[in-house]
Amino acid sequence: MELHILEHSLKVASIAKEGIQFFTHGLIKLAFLPSKTRCKFFTLTETPEDYTIIVDEEGFKELPVSEFLSVAEATWLALNVVSGGGSSSSSQPIGVTKIAKSVIAPLADHNISVFMLSTYQTDFILVRERDLPLVMHTLSSEFTLLRVVNGEAVAANSLGVTNGFVKPKLVQRPVIHPLSSPSNMFCVTSLDPDTLPSVATILMDVMFYSSGVKESAAPSDDLEYIRFFSFSLIEGYVSLVMDEETQKRFPLNVLFTSASGELWKMVRIGGQPLGFDECGIVAQISESLAAADIPAYYISTFKFDHALVPEENIQSVIGALRTNEGGGQ
Amino acid sequence: MSGSKPDILWSPHHVDRYVICDSELSLYRIESVGNSEAKAGALRLSEETTATLLAINSDTPYMKCVAWYPKHEPECLLAVGQANGRIVLTSLGQSHNSKCKDLMGKEFVPKHARQCNTLAWNPVDSNWLAAGLDKHRADFSVLIWDISSKFTPDASVTTDKIRLSAGDTDAGLVVTKPLYELGQNDACLSLCWLPRDQKLLLAGMHRNLAIFDLRNTSQKMFVNTKAIQGVTVDPHFHDRVASFFEGQVAIWDLRKFEKPVLTLTEQPKPLTKVAWCPTRTGLLATLTRDSNIIRLYDMQHTPTPIGDETEPTIIERNVQPCENHIASFAWHPSSQNRMVVVTPNRSMTDFTVFERISLAWSSTGSLMWACGRHLYECTEERNASSVEKDISTKMRQRAQSRYGHDTEQVWRNYLLAGGDDPQLKSLWYTLYFMKRYTEDLEQKPLVNKLPLVYSGIKNIVKSSSGTVESWCCWNGSDRQADVIRYHSDERCLALQLCGWIKRGPEIDVEPFLQSLEAEREWERAAAVALFNLDIRRSIQILNKGASAEKGDLNLNVVAMALSGYTDEKNSLWREMCSSLRLQLNNPHLCVMFAFLTSEPGSYDGVLYESSMAVRDRVAFACMFLSDSQLPRYIEKLASEMKEAGNLEGILLTGLTKDGVDLMESYVDRTGDVQTASFCMLKGSPGEVVKDSRVQCWIENYRNLLDAWRFWHKRAEFDIHRSKLDPSSKPLAQVFVSCNFCGKSISYSCSAMPHQGRGFSQYGVSGSPTKSKVTSCPGCRKPLPRCALCLMNMGTPVSSCPGAGKSDEKVDLSKDKKLAQLNNWFTWCHNCRHGGHTGHMLSWFRDHTECPVSACTCKCMQLDTTGNLVPLDTV
Repeated sequence: MELHILEHSLKVASIAKEGIQFFTHGLIKLAFLPSKTRCKFFTLTETPEDYTIIVDEEGFKELPVSEFLSVAEATWLALNVVSGGGSSSSSQPIGVTKIAKSVIAPLADHNISVFMLSTYQTDFILVRERDLPLVMHTLSSEFTLLRVVNGEAVAANSLGVTNGFVKPKLVQRPVIHPLSSPSNMFCVTSLDPDTLPSVATILMDVMFYSSGVKESAAPSDDLEYIRFFSFSLIEGYVSLVMDEETQKRFPLNVLFTSASGELWKMVRIGGQPLGFDECGIVAQISESLAAADIPAYYISTFKFDHALVPEENIQSVIGALRTNEGGGQ
Repeated sequence: MSGSKPDILWSPHHVDRYVICDSELSLYRIESVGNSEAKAGALRLSEETTATLLAINSDTPYMKCVAWYPKHEPECLLAVGQANGRIVLTSLGQSHNSKCKDLMGKEFVPKHARQCNTLAWNPVDSNWLAAGLDKHRADFSVLIWDISSKFTPDASVTTDKIRLSAGDTDAGLVVTKPLYELGQNDACLSLCWLPRDQKLLLAGMHRNLAIFDLRNTSQKMFVNTKAIQGVTVDPHFHDRVASFFEGQVAIWDLRKFEKPVLTLTEQPKPLTKVAWCPTRTGLLATLTRDSNIIRLYDMQHTPTPIGDETEPTIIERNVQPCENHIASFAWHPSSQNRMVVVTPNRSMTDFTVFERISLAWSSTGSLMWACGRHLYECTEERNASSVEKDISTKMRQRAQSRYGHDTEQVWRNYLLAGGDDPQLKSLWYTLYFMKRYTEDLEQKPLVNKLPLVYSGIKNIVKSSSGTVESWCCWNGSDRQADVIRYHSDERCLALQLCGWIKRGPEIDVEPFLQSLEAEREWERAAAVALFNLDIRRSIQILNKGASAEKGDLNLNVVAMALSGYTDEKNSLWREMCSSLRLQLNNPHLCVMFAFLTSEPGSYDGVLYESSMAVRDRVAFACMFLSDSQLPRYIEKLASEMKEAGNLEGILLTGLTKDGVDLMESYVDRTGDVQTASFCMLKGSPGEVVKDSRVQCWIENYRNLLDAWRFWHKRAEFDIHRSKLDPSSKPLAQVFVSCNFCGKSISYSCSAMPHQGRGFSQYGVSGSPTKSKVTSCPGCRKPLPRCALCLMNMGTPVSSCPGAGKSDEKVDLSKDKKLAQLNNWFTWCHNCRHGGHTGHMLSWFRDHTECPVSACTCKCMQLDTTGNLVPLDTV
């Protein structure tokens, strides 16, 4: 297995809902006019609380300084697991589940805080730049580490530092944050970047005018319903996460649908904002899912974490996590 | 192809069909103009060809890539890769074909939708179709489909989960299970099957090039690189692959896959297509975005002497098939260097890349050029004279006849040069006379005029002093002639240089007259006799000339006229002669009468008769012009000669800077560096030889000899040159030094006798002389061993007879004196192995590699010129 350390220096930011109008110019440029910026990594995730933006330094310049923008203090690097040399024939554990044991758990054991971002194409594990030596040390046994420089993967020289790092404490990880599972179902999809202009207006509507639409389309008193939408444009690839209702607004044959047309339900983690320092949250969830062999997407936002699991598995997932929760206390 | 940009695909089996694909597929047939003149709707592609639209297929939207079925049957079956990753089989104008019908409309659907970037049919097992898709987090990007497989609902996938759109559920038309899945969680941007084995697939993945081996799918060979787009195998060289990234093309050798064997110069705009020419080896065409030129790279493998490290020669060329930007192009599969290009608005041009012409001109004047697969030899029409007249031919012949090498009878060089050029004759005689005079002087103790001889008559007469004037009488009579003759040592010397008189103080032209008679130069002899005031002798010569075999009887008439000479100023004879003489064809006869009829002291009729030899005119001037007239005349004549580059003028200028000026205009006029080199080397004072122009002629002449492979002649010339110009002697180029003490092994010849004694004293070896030869004379350690015979090397020649051995030298025959070259040692500069020359030569007659075990150096091949034979041996 290969672990690619990507060259993007990322910022994680949150835009308050009421201030979104100050940022729309920059966001539209980043999302729909990639040739006008040198930004290679952009995601926008809307939650009921805020908009979470993950963007590289080039793209960050497009955002105005404003009281509505809060930025996590660290610079983040994205890691990407590639099957590399041997193409393992078993395709069963996919997504976050696949890397739960090999990446997420060891990082959690070393108290390294991670920020997860699953897309249609792949899973990114974001770590703080300053944690990189420890990350490389932790993962070098399991992976061939490659650093991407100018688009070309070159062997990352292992720092060779072994002392000074705290020995991992291998403990059971109970689920400590409250969970909730909204009622609406989601799809993870993508589209041909060439067709992006044709659906740009719909996407803009979905991104920035959700509040207005929601009031008319869905009953606001449905407490179980969650407003969640994610758009990412990373290295030319588009990835979208939206609920079933939103998907219906797009014309046929524009969005990529899998042959099995699967739908996903969400597990939302956290009762109050999780912050960036606590580690092991992703591990708590993903290890349980991996144990049960359930595929999942995992999207961290500024305040909360979100896991997507197949609709048919939601009950067993909730069950498993609750059990774990109980075991911990 | 996405959107409006059309691509073009040539039919693999019908050389006249191709498909243009943008939003739909259009099949065209290409024909020559003659066949399709009458047809309507034929599109003009070039002056000779048109294209006719045969069929259009617009059944498949969202096309991303198309691949043409590689086998004959079913013909015109196309696989179309769509934006959602589905692959559809379709066809053009083949509705009647039942075999095709089964396959038509068949779809291959990946588990997760994403763009299909590339398609490649397996050329051997043509049921296999490889598709390269974009990345998906939980899916594979390289899927190999078997187009003959039937749709079988996967038991593990529950039916309700398969949400195929309504039309797709036609059983048998949708396949969801690929034969192979490769490249998990990766993207595939380009694919091609490798001709080395039908189960090898080369794929341009997200950040690497990978070779998948379907015999063992858990293994793959890969190399990290950015150049992952448009992988394509050279059809002429199956291990050579091209791929590109943005503006840069990388060429890979699959046998050495770690890094590109070369990267081509980066182009400013991103590349869109790279294709090897199927009809011509090593020709790669590249196209960039928004460009109307196609850049060609011609990769030629020239045998390079130093191993594999050197890069092949690449010649870059741009061609512009049409005015507009080019969207895509396709090479014609069989017609040489031909392609069809298509512009974004679908206009097409048939274009043939004109082959580079490489031209070679041999040193012997023949001309050859290569164009495509043709080699032309250009021979001049049998107009032999123009070739033979060419100076290069002449110089070559002269070099073969050892022209310039006769240092004793210098004038003979004129004969060696062919004996038909009066200027060369004059030149070599001048040089001969100069040499003879200096030799005379050398025998005398007083050597004061030596430099003067070579500085030419111009300088000689300048220094003239003590001239004696005398009124002369006609020979054989007491009659006072009406002329004044001048005498001085310098004038005498000048006459000698002109060849009129021999050495010594006597002014006796009789030997000269006799030599002219012997050469049947009757008129000239008569004129010289007359100028020496001997009318009788002159008449006698003319009579002799008239009566000689094939003689001109008119000479008798001239003799008659001459005999009527009278010095009466107003005589009829004088009047008639001065006017009628102009009608005489022979210049010598003409000047004779001019002399007789001229006023004393003004001999313009003689002096400015340009068809008379310069030496005769100068000799005449030296006899009859006063000290004030003579230098002026000589000066004028010399500058005329210099202007004209006439070698006769060397008589006047000598081998001085003036002479070099004259020679310069001669070389400018004729290109004869050979004569110039030899001539200037004769200038023994050596000053002129240092002139940069002279050095340039000499170097050019040497290069010329080398180009003709007249190496022996060149070596002879160098020897000749170093004799005359010792400063040109090259320094010793090579020393063989001992491995142990570092001294040259030939260095201490003189010290050898002592060493020899030393050896015998210590009793190290039986024969002291033997040990000398094969060991270092400095430290007595043995010399290296010959790689073949394993004997220590060393040749008797290194113990060349020293001063003390002069008594031995006497009885050594020539063969023994010079050691056999076979015994000398030689070595390879690359691997540093060596041995006896004879052994080495015989080894390399049958082998290419070094005789030392485990040394793979191809010593003999490193020396490309070593295998050439000089042309001037025999």
